[in-house]
Amino acid sequence: MTPRAAAGVDVGGTFTDLVAVRDDGSVAARKVSSTPDDQSRGVENALAALGAEPASIDRLVHGTTIVTNALLERRGARVVLCATDGFTDLLELRRQERASLYDLAAHHPAPLVQRRDTVPVAERMTHHGVLRPLDAEGIAAAVDAVRASGASSVAVSLLHSYAHPQHEQALAAAMRAALPDAEIVASHDVLPEIREYERTSTTVAEAYVRPLVARYLGRLGSALTAAGYPAPGVVTSGGGVLPAAAAARHGAALALSGPAGGVTGAALAARAAGFDRALTIDIGGTSADCGLVLDGEPLVETGGSVAGVPIALPRVLVETVSAGGGSIAWVDDGAALRVGPRSGGARPGPVAFGRGGTQPTVTDAHLTLGTIHAARFDAGVSLDIAAARAAVTALAARLDATPERTAEAIIATADAEMARALRRVSVERGIDPRHCVLVAFGGGGPLHACSLAGRLGMSRVLVPPFAGVLSALGLAVAAERHEALASVMQRTDALDAAALGARLRDLAGRVAEPEPGCRRQFWARTRYVGQGHELEVPLADGDDGHSLAGRFAGMHRARTGFTLDTGVEVVSLRHAATGRPRAAALGRRGPGTWDAARCHDDGSAFEAAVAGPASIALPDATLFVAPGWTARALATGGWLVEHDA
Amino acid sequence: MSAPVFDPLELGVLGHAVSMVAEEMGSVLVRGSLSPNIRERRDASSALFDLRGRMVAQAAHIPVHLGAMPESVRAVMARDPRPGDLFLLNDPYHGGSHLPDLTMVLPIVDEGAIVGYAAVRAHHADVGGMSPGSMPQGATELWQEGLVVPPVRLARNGEIDTEVMSLVLANVRTPVERHGDLAAQRAACEAGAEGWRALRHREGVVRLDAGCDALLDYTERRARARLVPLEGATGVGEDALEGDGVSDRPVPVRVRATVRYSKLHLDFTGSSPVVAGNVNCPAAVTRAAAVFALRTLLSDDVPTNDGIARAIELVLPEGSAINASAPAAVAAGNVEMSQRITDTIFLAMASAGIPVAAQGQGTMNNITLGGAGWTFYETLGGGQGASGRGPGPSAVHVGMSNTRNTPVETLEVAYPIRIERYALRADSGGGGVHAGGAGVIRSYRALAPCVATLLTERRSRSPQGASGGGAGVAGVNALNGAVLPAKVRRSLAAGDVLTIETPGGGGWGRR
Repeated sequence: MTPRAAAGVDVGGTFTDLVAVRDDGSVAARKVSSTPDDQSRGVENALAALGAEPASIDRLVHGTTIVTNALLERRGARVVLCATDGFTDLLELRRQERASLYDLAAHHPAPLVQRRDTVPVAERMTHHGVLRPLDAEGIAAAVDAVRASGASSVAVSLLHSYAHPQHEQALAAAMRAALPDAEIVASHDVLPEIREYERTSTTVAEAYVRPLVARYLGRLGSALTAAGYPAPGVVTSGGGVLPAAAAARHGAALALSGPAGGVTGAALAARAAGFDRALTIDIGGTSADCGLVLDGEPLVETGGSVAGVPIALPRVLVETVSAGGGSIAWVDDGAALRVGPRSGGARPGPVAFGRGGTQPTVTDAHLTLGTIHAARFDAGVSLDIAAARAAVTALAARLDATPERTAEAIIATADAEMARALRRVSVERGIDPRHCVLVAFGGGGPLHACSLAGRLGMSRVLVPPFAGVLSALGLAVAAERHEALASVMQRTDALDAAALGARLRDLAGRVAEPEPGCRRQFWARTRYVGQGHELEVPLADGDDGHSLAGRFAGMHRARTGFTLDTGVEVVSLRHAATGRPRAAALGRRGPGTWDAARCHDDGSAFEAAVAGPASIALPDATLFVAPGWTARALATGGWLVEHDA
Repeated sequence: MSAPVFDPLELGVLGHAVSMVAEEMGSVLVRGSLSPNIRERRDASSALFDLRGRMVAQAAHIPVHLGAMPESVRAVMARDPRPGDLFLLNDPYHGGSHLPDLTMVLPIVDEGAIVGYAAVRAHHADVGGMSPGSMPQGATELWQEGLVVPPVRLARNGEIDTEVMSLVLANVRTPVERHGDLAAQRAACEAGAEGWRALRHREGVVRLDAGCDALLDYTERRARARLVPLEGATGVGEDALEGDGVSDRPVPVRVRATVRYSKLHLDFTGSSPVVAGNVNCPAAVTRAAAVFALRTLLSDDVPTNDGIARAIELVLPEGSAINASAPAAVAAGNVEMSQRITDTIFLAMASAGIPVAAQGQGTMNNITLGGAGWTFYETLGGGQGASGRGPGPSAVHVGMSNTRNTPVETLEVAYPIRIERYALRADSGGGGVHAGGAGVIRSYRALAPCVATLLTERRSRSPQGASGGGAGVAGVNALNGAVLPAKVRRSLAAGDVLTIETPGGGGWGRR
């Protein structure tokens, strides 16, 4: 009988990756071309390439860029925004900072709602409750205006609804009754948290992408189930999995579905190797994604924006920089060597790909130095090393340097930019990179790992198995997770254990259990009174305001180096119910498996240590072991590279 | 011939490394500070200096701090700094800008010796003086504007001098918040020191020093490369503030801009002498405006360090409002004169044939409301000027500011104020081939008695268009519908409504 398997499918710009983790621990990976016009075909193609009996797949998790792309390309639904009278311009006003400090002509990306598609609602709440009641006439006027607009997607976002949602509820109910075919999204449902701009923007994003996400997931779900596969789950920006039906109603929460899978996979690899604190970097052709793993879990934060649209929902921390294998090296008008942000991407790509690229890239620099194992590069690409070298040599002539020195400098410049992002990710959260392992993956991660670690004073690098398809592996094992948020806006000294407990129970009651015995976690988003930014403090059973304030102070000290003798307030509570992650035993299985190239037929090289400088060919990447570093194959798969003390 | 100590191929690497340190200081500050003014509005900057006091990197969130902190470090270096010292200052005539900008300078110590400086400037919500928020209208002496802090040692031997700290805190209206913000500023300086030390250890002292030379030279090269095609351009700009807060007499600013030997020469001869009110500014603020104006011509990736200032030559007449000396009052100079200087430089550049944007709103619309036990300060965005590249953005801070707004909900929870309306000010941008950006309308209802202080500009002199574009619509301040002066202090009763309409930006191109 075929072992049952969980499959993760990660859709990227160029490739759709699939990883299947079977119950016997074995893992299969496939890479097919993405189908940008309809991502679901790429998903089906990847499954076809796997060739497994559909019934043997008992779990299918999808990481999708459909929401990211819809936001980037502004391809969502036409949305009408109903806002408190006098405040319909919130999306235009943003937070009043300009798009660029020095480029005075730069504009922010346009809001998702056109100014003429805003409807004033005759009502006003304050944080104390009703100031101007919303009467039947006000409701009717708003409904009429929406109907007259002809739009089929409606965002309702009224002032102070995080605390007093009654007007939003009444208006949304009236809209649903009067316009049964329209999608009605209310801000207290999407993000019940103070700060009207971010709440409104998130709500509008939901109304904007929901119809498209629902259509896409509906189509994908029926195609898969018709073929005998299970209904898919979708990974959210926060790294948890939602069943497709629920995901279709949380479109804005999928905005960073793609990168979340990578950090989830990196966290799995780190745990398997015995590390619970890691910096992660996924280096691709055009960009590098940096993340952070604490206590074995990807760090989840709230806020940020996607394609210029603030979406204040939980998301796995990922900071992206424009540096990758395809980043182009050039000389600027100050005679300095520069790398990126322009990139050859997948096409034309590096000069060595022979697809028309003429400017040297980071990959060409590696080929010039011989750090990449040319023979084992991407399947289907034959490398023209002479052309790569010629391009680097031409650049070197302009810099009056040797080709080798120029190639080294190209790599060092890209490394410096990536190291800066890694440091930002860690230090901004009070984490010292020296206490972390660096998990390096993606096509370019293992090549740059030693240099990045050296720049950050880190002494250990983990190159996970399946470094080229780690995101898909992360998806295959990611746990189902349901979340909810509730506004509080109270000082901790007003919160006794009973009051806090009642709020947590209420919150828990709103969240479906993914499975019996799931893990329930609570956080209080907390700050000193007067601060504008919260820390997420984990809550334990029996907590009261006093114990919460104490834990907050400890976290504040760890992050900022000091505490204050001022009141502490809870802005909101967050809850997540998480199922069990899929078990995956990432062991080495000898010849014929992913790391076969690294061992003799009898498997005897598994314990071998490789001292730098050395290049180790992995199935879909090259691991460069720098001088002064030693790589050891791990029993759990992958390599641990350590700085020689 | 010996090998060069610094390989120019490593410029990009070193540039990232020093910027990273300045950036880290900024993040520690913003993360740790208590006041919305620093934390939400980011009215703060951090910078890193080498042993010679040269600024090698700055993380500026707002342009008025651009290139203005070298003066702070120079003022500290003149006071015989010793290892373990930490300096605090705000005196505009000894390294400061205006009094709310408390600036901390930490001499960085490595192996017992000073090896550089970390500096952090932050706009504090109150530093005492005649009105809450320390942005008074009508002040004529520096002492009315708040506590004056010359460069003093806030710490010796690494220990905070609690007596100096208590003296500072005893002179401000919100000591707890100030204490918190100062703690964050110190933590940010320490982060900068740590980063600079690590860089020295990794790069080696000689190589790092040579690298900093190369980095400053590189920035200067890039700035001057931009000026080469403009060689010989010359033009004059003249504009004025609408009064100094004491009288309504215009305060003229005049500048001749010339590009000569690929440097930008700005001669302010003919600008107003020091005025009685507080729209004067020290030379550091004028220099910041000049650096900003040049910066807008450069691409975003030019590193921010002392190299930019090297491409600028200034002539600042002694005793003028743009090069004030003690004890002239300066609170509004930092926020409003700085804007007018920028506007005037742009006019001069335009008349020299340099393609620049039309004038933006040209004011920060400083609004302070204060009552028993509370002070609220904010500034409002408006229209940006249009340019040959397109229309002007709406509802943004222009010129020397870039602070964020205060969320309506947060504001209402924290203060006895209700916002009645917050909207775009339609059709306020000047017409043209490309229209100027729109201003905003914001109405505040006082829910308790309080005092409102307004320091605003462009209420009568509209932002001008460029290349034949129309002017933006001037701003309006009103109390219960009755128009108020541009700079005014009024008592508000509960129920009163203050409405601010900010100016639109100038248009570009004749239609």
